[in-house]
Amino acid sequence: MSTEVAVGKTASKWKLSLDTWAVLVAFLLALLVRTGVFKHIPW
Amino acid sequence: MADAITVPQVQPVQPALRFLRVVPGILLLAAVGYAGKLLEQNVGAYAKAHHWTFPNIEYVLWAIVLGLVISNTVGVPEIFRTGVATYEFWLKAGIVLLGARFLLGDILKLGGVSLVLVAIEIVGSLAFMTFLGRLFKLKPKLTTLLAVGSAVCGVSAIIATKGAIEADDEDSSFSIAAILALCALALFTFPVIGHFLHLSDKAYGLWAGLGVDNTAEATAAGALYSDAAGKLAVLVKSTRNAMIGFVVLAYAIYWASKGQAQAVGNKAAFLWEKFPKFVLGFLIISALATYGFFNKDQVGALANLSRWAFLLTFAGVGLRTNFSEMRKQGLRPFAVGAIGEVAIAGFTLALVYGASKIFGW
Repeated sequence: MSTEVAVGKTASKWKLSLDTWAVLVAFLLALLVRTGVFKHIPW
Repeated sequence: MADAITVPQVQPVQPALRFLRVVPGILLLAAVGYAGKLLEQNVGAYAKAHHWTFPNIEYVLWAIVLGLVISNTVGVPEIFRTGVATYEFWLKAGIVLLGARFLLGDILKLGGVSLVLVAIEIVGSLAFMTFLGRLFKLKPKLTTLLAVGSAVCGVSAIIATKGAIEADDEDSSFSIAAILALCALALFTFPVIGHFLHLSDKAYGLWAGLGVDNTAEATAAGALYSDAAGKLAVLVKSTRNAMIGFVVLAYAIYWASKGQAQAVGNKAAFLWEKFPKFVLGFLIISALATYGFFNKDQVGALANLSRWAFLLTFAGVGLRTNFSEMRKQGLRPFAVGAIGEVAIAGFTLALVYGASKIFGW
């Protein structure tokens, strides 16, 4: 039972919020645009 | 036995399965959003070719209406629901990327004005909704949830406050349903009122950011008016979102002092936990754009990425709005919300009108 608690705590400690994920994905996209991987995004 | 229970929590396949579960819904968001974009391009051209008088309806409205029609007729099948719920994620990623279109100086200038208006709006809305809740004899914690939802930031604020003040699930469902229903109405009424009053893009953007409670709907209500109004609505709404931690902390302390919620230990940690991180992301991207980290073409590319993210968001706003589900939540919280929202919309319109006279917008 104690193992269960420990595993649960470790998992939740490293769980990122939706907000943080959105920021990380946006930063990654910005970096890909900056480095020229995405040269042109049509609209 | 314990090991048998714990193993599934750390199984490496879980994230992959979770990812696969969201794919159908994201594809539905993309299909509905893109259909909205095609309708904007083709309906206008078709009407023009046939010499019809037809208003130019933006993709924002087409995407929302298509989503609403699906959600309220055939419904959204279970397989799509997890993915459709990611519209909040796309909204936040879109706001961060939108930062590239703001110069830091503009944010500080506009942010300063909007911060004052937001402070007045939050205090006025909290006081008025609390008064209405008492008048209609709603449960005190339900009143708190409705007040926070209408004063700060819709669904996110209600969920954050629910946890902090230990409110019932039923109360938060009532509040979320009332706020979402009223946001859906605001989507269609705000642009009409704005055009009727000949509001400038700046005045309307401020009003949408102050008066519409949920971030997705505030973004859509702004974009429905004009691109410039949409940008400003996002900025003002983000300023409101940044206040969420302070308001939730105040209510958490209040309910803890009454012995009806757990006391808050580390207040700084509490504020950081509740602070919307996408606001920081938005400011960082804006600072990078201001200091020339991105060239002009790259800023254009980031702006278009932000538009694609918002396209998914607007489709999601329509797809997750189900009026019959909302009706089931009861009339009284909705009535309190409706009276409060109309008053807040009038109050914020007067605030913006006053500010536009002072600053000559």
